[in-house]
Amino acid sequence: MAEDTFMSVKRDKIDWSPTIDYSKCDFCMECDKFCPHQVFERRDEDPKLVVANPHNCVVFCRACAKTCGPDAISFPSKPETIAKIKKIREEEGEQ
Amino acid sequence: MKRTVLPCNGLDKQHGVLARELALSLAEAQGAEIICPVLLNNSPARYEKALAGATLLVIDGCPTRCASKLANKLALKIDDKVLVSEQAKNAGLEVAESLRPGSVGMQLVGIMAKGLAAPNETPAEETTSDDFETPGDFITVTYDKFIFKMPAEDYLFNENDCWVRVIGSRARVGVSDFVQQNMTDITFFEPAQTGTEIEQFDEVGSLESGKSMMDALSPVSGRIVAVNTQLVDSPELVNEDPYGKGWIAEIELRDFDSDKELLLDAKSYSKIVEKKAAEAQH
Repeated sequence: MAEDTFMSVKRDKIDWSPTIDYSKCDFCMECDKFCPHQVFERRDEDPKLVVANPHNCVVFCRACAKTCGPDAISFPSKPETIAKIKKIREEEGEQ
Repeated sequence: MKRTVLPCNGLDKQHGVLARELALSLAEAQGAEIICPVLLNNSPARYEKALAGATLLVIDGCPTRCASKLANKLALKIDDKVLVSEQAKNAGLEVAESLRPGSVGMQLVGIMAKGLAAPNETPAEETTSDDFETPGDFITVTYDKFIFKMPAEDYLFNENDCWVRVIGSRARVGVSDFVQQNMTDITFFEPAQTGTEIEQFDEVGSLESGKSMMDALSPVSGRIVAVNTQLVDSPELVNEDPYGKGWIAEIELRDFDSDKELLLDAKSYSKIVEKKAAEAQH
């Protein structure tokens, strides 16, 4: 089980996880072999690999994309994600 | 010092083919000795002599990084590393999908070879500030048989286990004691490019051990003004002194007040370490 909060913000409120471009993915599974947080899951049916647990993904980590030969993994923008986290913290601080 | 080169096998992908070409070009220009990854994998002893007393350059074709993984598996000390697909991107070159090196491919090989000066000929890096001393007082988190240390003062942390220490308009960043203990013996460090403008949480260097790989994510935004080149030869300094000699990069701060909103003091970070240490056990 990964952290359930990031900087006191509930993890499921933060949109940070990999997106697989299936037109490029060759299902080599290197990303899944690399990721220690079970973000990916292998399936018997197509697609053979999915982002099954996006909220297990470590916020701001993009290391799996580096293992991807065909460059099929992308992530949201960091500055936008930072801004959103700050906004949520501000709103929750006001309550 | 003599150089040995471990290229990826490069038979079935266009960037791999260029890894082999680059190895050949370095063998011709610098007298580097090429290591065959297949033979190395089958009988590592065959190369013991070649590797002793030589620097090791690993050339990966694509991000699957088979050559790096092989070197890590055999606990070889890597001195330099090249990733051909990344170099192509940096140079703005589109390598054709052919298993023979084309003209664009050879142009890229030329660029990469030029960037790889013979060992001992690398230019000196920017000098760094001497004001950063190794910290004195620590607070600790004990979990099972592990004791994780955090400097009690002057250091702030992000939740990605990286620290920052600010002096004036500059800061040093690195990874926490928790990271180095978790990774165990760090065998490779790849610094970021000096001069790069970075956002908070951008990568400032990467670390590898036999167990795992980690990108250090900067707790602050700004410009990288220096990187700890000592770690290239001695990555074990991160294990020995993560908050001092094991620093990773020095940053000219851009907006520290804003960055601080997403940073923790040692006490708050120690709570995160407690949680992560418990999770790491399960």
